[in-house]
Amino acid sequence: MTRRRFLRDSLWGTCLAGLGAAGGYFWGRSHKQDTVWQIDPYTCVACGNCATYCVLEESAVKCVHNHAVCGYCRICFGFFGPEPHDITEAAENQLCPTGAINRKLIEDPYYEYTLDEKLCNGCGKCVKGCNAFGNGSLFLQVRHDRCKNCNDCSIAAACPSGAFRRVPADKPYILKRADHT
Amino acid sequence: MKSNSDNNTESKSTSLRYPTAVRIAVVGGVFSVIVAALLAVNYVQRTVFDERRIAELDRLKIEILSRPNDEQLMGRIRQLDLEVRRDRIRRVDFSRKGGWLLAAGLVVMVVGIKWADTLRRKLPHPELRGDVRAEQVTEATWARRAVTAGLLLLGASALLLTLIPQVDFVKSSFEVGPDEVWPGFRGPGGVGVGVTTNVPVKWNGGTGEGILWKKKVPLRGHNSPIAWGDRVFVSGADANERQVYCFDADSGDLLWRGGVETEAGKTSEPLDVMEDTGFAAPTCVTDGKRVCAIFANGDVGCFDYKGKQLWTRGLGVPESAYGYASSLAMYRNLVLIQYDQATEEDEKSKMIALNVLSGQTVWETKRPVGGAWTSPIVDKVGGSEQLITCGDPWVIAYNPANGEELWRAECMGDDLAPSPIYAGGLVLAIESNVKMVAIRPDGRGDVTKTHILWMVEDGIPDIPSPVSNGELVFLLTSDGTLTCYRLTDHAKLWEQDLGTGFNASPTIVGNRLYLLSEKGVMIIAEFAEGYKEAARYELGEECHASPAFVSGRIYIRGLENLYCIGSTASQEP
Amino acid sequence: MMRSSHVTIALLFPLMLTGIASAAERFPPPEFETGYELPPVTNITQAVPRGDIYEYLDVAVLAAALALSSYLVLKKRSRRWIYTLMIFSLLYFGFWRKGCVCPIGAIQNVVLSIFDETYAMPITVTLFFVLPLVFTLFFGRTFCAAVCPLGAMQDLVALRPISIPAWLEAGLRLFAYVYLAAAVLFAATGSAFIICRYDPFVSFFRLSGWFNILVLGACILLIGVFVGRPYCRFLCPYGVILRQLSRLSKRRVTITPDECIKCRLCEDSCPFGAIREPTAEWPAGHYVKSKKRLGLLIAILPVLIFVFGWLGSELKGIASRAHSTVRLADRVHLEDAGRVEGTTNASDAFRATGKDVEQLNAEASGIIAQFGTGGWVFGGFVGLVIGLTLISLTVQRKRTDYEADRGSCLACGRCFEYCPRENVRLKRLKETVGGD
Repeated sequence: MTRRRFLRDSLWGTCLAGLGAAGGYFWGRSHKQDTVWQIDPYTCVACGNCATYCVLEESAVKCVHNHAVCGYCRICFGFFGPEPHDITEAAENQLCPTGAINRKLIEDPYYEYTLDEKLCNGCGKCVKGCNAFGNGSLFLQVRHDRCKNCNDCSIAAACPSGAFRRVPADKPYILKRADHT
Repeated sequence: MKSNSDNNTESKSTSLRYPTAVRIAVVGGVFSVIVAALLAVNYVQRTVFDERRIAELDRLKIEILSRPNDEQLMGRIRQLDLEVRRDRIRRVDFSRKGGWLLAAGLVVMVVGIKWADTLRRKLPHPELRGDVRAEQVTEATWARRAVTAGLLLLGASALLLTLIPQVDFVKSSFEVGPDEVWPGFRGPGGVGVGVTTNVPVKWNGGTGEGILWKKKVPLRGHNSPIAWGDRVFVSGADANERQVYCFDADSGDLLWRGGVETEAGKTSEPLDVMEDTGFAAPTCVTDGKRVCAIFANGDVGCFDYKGKQLWTRGLGVPESAYGYASSLAMYRNLVLIQYDQATEEDEKSKMIALNVLSGQTVWETKRPVGGAWTSPIVDKVGGSEQLITCGDPWVIAYNPANGEELWRAECMGDDLAPSPIYAGGLVLAIESNVKMVAIRPDGRGDVTKTHILWMVEDGIPDIPSPVSNGELVFLLTSDGTLTCYRLTDHAKLWEQDLGTGFNASPTIVGNRLYLLSEKGVMIIAEFAEGYKEAARYELGEECHASPAFVSGRIYIRGLENLYCIGSTASQEP
Repeated sequence: MMRSSHVTIALLFPLMLTGIASAAERFPPPEFETGYELPPVTNITQAVPRGDIYEYLDVAVLAAALALSSYLVLKKRSRRWIYTLMIFSLLYFGFWRKGCVCPIGAIQNVVLSIFDETYAMPITVTLFFVLPLVFTLFFGRTFCAAVCPLGAMQDLVALRPISIPAWLEAGLRLFAYVYLAAAVLFAATGSAFIICRYDPFVSFFRLSGWFNILVLGACILLIGVFVGRPYCRFLCPYGVILRQLSRLSKRRVTITPDECIKCRLCEDSCPFGAIREPTAEWPAGHYVKSKKRLGLLIAILPVLIFVFGWLGSELKGIASRAHSTVRLADRVHLEDAGRVEGTTNASDAFRATGKDVEQLNAEASGIIAQFGTGGWVFGGFVGLVIGLTLISLTVQRKRTDYEADRGSCLACGRCFEYCPRENVRLKRLKETVGGD
């Protein structure tokens, strides 16, 4: 009896010590901050998975526009579809399936394009067009007021170019800069 | 609560509350089922019907391009577009709200069921156990058997899984040595230097001595043969047809031929090309797995090793005074096309990079040049690769991965035919009959004033490209003058008149020069101490294309036939 | 004017199909004459993630719930209170925090942080992993009782639990060990977090999710109506760690406060089959046979470990396909060799980076090699577990009373509610001697 008890007690002590050591080791390796998921816009290929793979009904990923990079083109390849009927803001000419981009004339020949976040669904069609023919001023980002910060982000698992990564929670956005070529 | 016992006593109040509990459960359950059904319908609508409407909308958008003034169609498009967008928002909204409603319904149902259950709970009456010895032993035995069964199951399934064959990509790369490939015009790097050893030293076209095989090429073309491993590729074309041919290196059998035809390449009148150029002047290019060819009408075709056509692209007929002749180059998975045409003012010339797998354009860079008949080369300069082109009037180097211009120098004129080479750390570019220019390739931007080291004007060729061994550079004119310069100080060392005409570009293999004349005579010369002719061999057929030196053999393309000079077995160690 | 522009766009459309990742700035910045001010980058930086303070709050709530649960199970011994705490945990950790991060998933984070230097695990995740283990080491599986939201969901629907025969229970539990080993392997190689990916209840907590996982969760709950806590007993990878620690714990659930009258009410009440009956004297000759079997099992234990370890490493070919780099190398190779038609987004994106295929192949081969070594550990662990299970089924402990199995007991508190001796102690029943 006592031998068994001794064995059990020592095993218990070992486990406790082990847990303590493991705890200490991980404490040392730990990061004070939480990490959140974010898209690297320079690696993103705008494949469209962000809109479909998010566990939320409406994806936590939405498009962002950095006007400093924008060329203010009359024919914006993020705004207009590949074969538009006319160069106007009519719905049938637009690329965006939810009509989330607004086009406004500033002065000839410059047009301003702004995003209505409520409508954007993160499909990335505008990003693809802008990257292929324009300056690449439109890019996708994870919105942290919507994102649930899943441990195993479904979009990250489905991203073909590995653009999803964990970033510290105090710098949760990776924005495109104007001086990047 | 598990119990299989008999009846119990209930209090009156309990029996009154029980139906209520059941009703709550039923209400919750029915509500949940209805909401779940609605959610399912919503889901189906979103995935099936909405997708169909979106496809319909796309189709209509394309249709309206052919009927731009159809007001009714436009109205339909707008209506459909509005419906799609409105419904999308509605459906997502419903999904979210439905989720909450379903959760609420389920909670009510579970609460009702549990309450009903609590009210109906029976007192447990477990049986008393008698002699449990045997039972406990049996139980333990069965438990062990179950675990053993689990063990066997796991083991068997693991074994089965290991039997599933997986892709072995480690073995994917082609195992060929550098002396077994001549992948494009003028060999690796486009500099005309062969690394193979045991090159044949004697042959006679008339008697067939030293010639392994001679095969007729169905269609003519002035492009040079290329080889990789056990395959030799050439292309041929006439006014109507364009074909790529694959010969077996050992037997010469024509393994396959592939036709290339595109809409963009069709012309209403036959293409006007100089006879000296022909319809298939550009040399093909291969990476061991695929071979690509371009023709005078701007058609590009790509085939895999087995001859299956992967893709074709019609770039459109280039405006070329003598007929398009720039050979293809290759960098990783990109096929590089120097699409020079017309004049500098027309701004039609460009450098095009196509994905060799799909034929799609990966990048395209405009070139401020007119037409030229030089070919681009890709070489390692410093630590990175440069795509070097010789155009009229600029010599331009690009980053082959993305088409970004690295440097340019204005030093050329028009009617350019010899291709540039990179040797001894210098880019050597030739303006036909006028001059040869040596440029340092480590600049950025316009380096006309800063990086042109020297210029020589004696013995400048009009068609054949130069060749260098890193110290000396050799220029061969089409009327037979061979001139040798030293790279370090551009001193002209010697000059030799060979007495016959040349179209093919010279090649250096080992420490010898191989010069193939128009009449099909190969002059082999040593150049270490001035010019010394070592041998001359007759092929017996007119030759315009440059030879390929690979795996101890020489492939020469005559006007009609393709020759393999070598011995029976391939010579590599 | 219109015609040429749409023709231009149409001609350029093939270019669009390449979807280049990094866009060069093709158009120069515009020069405005009207004094137009550039709007700032969409103010998304105002949408910040949940503050770190809330993460620490979660840890505090976890610690408090664990402490409270231990108190309720061991000291207060009230099922009603345990049930209430369980509902609170379900609402807080389940529906409020959406079940993420949970201690079960934290296993993977912890393993990944050991093998991947670039992964910085937040402290809160470490604590989520370690705290329940420490409490279990002291007090038994009080985490499972009233803190784990997945357990709470299953406990709520356990309405008509049937008793699983011991042999089936032993066999099915092997799967939880395999799941644990697989989760560790896939997390260590950075392939996937399979516990999170196949978490059946997370879609309920989020009120939205993938159809397949919803169905899986519904099925498990449906089974849970008849089999008490099926995920906890046969699937939960964290649960098997808690089992082992709970067997060593100092304090544990006791049923009767004084003597056991063998009424079997506790065994009857346990939906999880965790109450063990007193052992009888073994039949003659059984002791010798058992000893022989024990010796045999101990002898073949290393063989089992080796054989399963070898099998595990042989699985590296198929297991490594869980990693996206290996799948990409596969796909690129098949495309290059012309054995598949077309390209995928991933292979397109790869070729657009201009990276060398050889390098990709080298990376993928490295990962497969990792799966090879990891496979030895995976298989060896499974072999060890099987061997030890067989051994433990050969050894029989002596019991005089009805006791809760130290490993299997989920500390739900039903058993001591039913114990007549306990009810006497709580003065709910009057003690009688003979008669009724």
